[in-house]
Amino acid sequence: MMRLDRLVTPFATRTPDHHAIEGDETLTYAELDALANRFARVFLAHGVHPGDRIGIHLPRSGRGVAAALGALRAGAVFVPLDPLSPPARIALIARDCGLRQAVISPPLLAGWLAHAGQELPEHFFLSAEAPALPAPTQVHPWSEVRHADGSPIAPTGDNSDELAYILYTSGSTGVPKGVMLSHRNALAFVHWAADRIALSQADRVASVAPFHFDLSVFDLWGSLSRGSTIVIVDEPTVTSGRRMLDRIHSGRISVWYSVPSALALMLSGGLIERGASSLRTILFAGEVFPVKHLSRVMAAVPHARFFNLFGPTETNVCAAYELLAPVQPDESAIPIGRATCGDVLSILDPERRPVGDGETGELFVDGPTLMLGYWHGGRRTVAPRPYPTGDLVSRRSDGELMYHGRRDHLVKIHGFRVELGEVQSALLSHPAIQEAIVFAGDQTLTAVVVPSDVSLCVLDIKRWCAERLPRYMIPSEVRLVSDLPRTSSGKVDHVGTRAGLLAGTLPRPLWPTPQ
Amino acid sequence: MDPVNEKIRDYIVATWLSGDSRGFDDESDLQESGILDSFSTLALIAFLDEAFRIQLEPVEVNAGTFRSVSTIAKLVRAKAALPPPVQ
Repeated sequence: MMRLDRLVTPFATRTPDHHAIEGDETLTYAELDALANRFARVFLAHGVHPGDRIGIHLPRSGRGVAAALGALRAGAVFVPLDPLSPPARIALIARDCGLRQAVISPPLLAGWLAHAGQELPEHFFLSAEAPALPAPTQVHPWSEVRHADGSPIAPTGDNSDELAYILYTSGSTGVPKGVMLSHRNALAFVHWAADRIALSQADRVASVAPFHFDLSVFDLWGSLSRGSTIVIVDEPTVTSGRRMLDRIHSGRISVWYSVPSALALMLSGGLIERGASSLRTILFAGEVFPVKHLSRVMAAVPHARFFNLFGPTETNVCAAYELLAPVQPDESAIPIGRATCGDVLSILDPERRPVGDGETGELFVDGPTLMLGYWHGGRRTVAPRPYPTGDLVSRRSDGELMYHGRRDHLVKIHGFRVELGEVQSALLSHPAIQEAIVFAGDQTLTAVVVPSDVSLCVLDIKRWCAERLPRYMIPSEVRLVSDLPRTSSGKVDHVGTRAGLLAGTLPRPLWPTPQ
Repeated sequence: MDPVNEKIRDYIVATWLSGDSRGFDDESDLQESGILDSFSTLALIAFLDEAFRIQLEPVEVNAGTFRSVSTIAKLVRAKAALPPPVQ
């Protein structure tokens, strides 16, 4: 099985009535397969060429998965777009990778048309019935997809090294950057993970992560590779521990993969009292799981197996993994484990020499899950091999890797990657901001801002950010100051600024007292 | 000035506007201005519980009820059976 778009077809024949996806709408394997063919046919009928990019911009749903499959079957590349990101950021991504077509929900199209200016994909395909909108581009109603021919379509490509999808993450220069992943990258991980946790048709796999977040590669493609059922846990549910537990119980979810924050939220939502008897496997990734919370989750779901997965989007979901033994609340940290699916991990010093056991160095990854490269600034670059992850790790004498933080300005906020530079660029693009520095705290960002106009207020800055950045990148605290500490060479003193921030000694600008 | 509105507004200004109340009033849109996201919403629910002794059901928390200080205050008054705002 060398291409992602071929995964579903055998189950459409063998178990056509088995549920592939349950959400607002349930699709069986036969229905998903046919809907993917319908999408592929409309994409092709409107001129998509091999390698063209098709955006998928809608809340997590069976239709979104069918559209992604359809894009691949048409020989195109799919680009999942965050339905919660501001339209201005989506427009940046669309321009960056030159989106030719997009599948979109009607409310999101309205937002896009209101903000994106003239640079639009040539064709939009609506994912639901809606009244016609005046648009300077072609908008195709849902009925056009629904009524298209769903019979099997001749495969357009058979090269597994071709680009399959692009996942956009935070970029340090202010423009999001696209991680390009091939069919081979995806399948190397998907088959490894499905084998490792013995995923079967009987499994009901939660879809918690957004489709533009690499954790979803496991939920979607892992499930489809084994004929399992994907159970959508929608966005409003993910914000409440109680609602997530309700969904686990009602959806009889057996496999759960999310960031640790979501699991920790279940603790306050009644996990210990109610348990989660249907869960047999819990995977987490994306951020460090505080041991005190993890030990409680493990005690509340004692029959489940827990996996800690580790690695950047660039290595397609993960490069290392650990099957965890029960942890005690007083343990200092959990290991990130060993290499996954044939990846080769090395820990190197700044001169690129291997470090000894127990010494900290940068993690380098090579192997089948390593991305093709970046799509950034309208250009493609090839991934360096081995790839420097920027993660600082050490190897214990038993071979397990331990994580020690980042080498650069990339931070994680609730599992999402944030380049502090992207937040800084958004701030500096404000006409009344002279200087800005962003610091990361415990799951929050703090901005220190020097305004060039004293009438600039924190509310204006927040609003400016909300129009340009996803929610998790908006600094929760914005400190307005009249000046920043400088080093002797005149450069901004980051260490001094941080110290001043903590001590509350940064000079405040004088602003008129509110009436 | 209604004490319910005032308490909620002061909390929001102190917690997410770094104490800078300029431009912020009871009708300011909390979603559009990037103040509320899923995590700050959780913190706000905890604050309302503590300050007004009200437990909100998940269905009561949505973009309509959590749009501005005045919509939140309305919800709080309804839950806590408080008198309507002082004019």
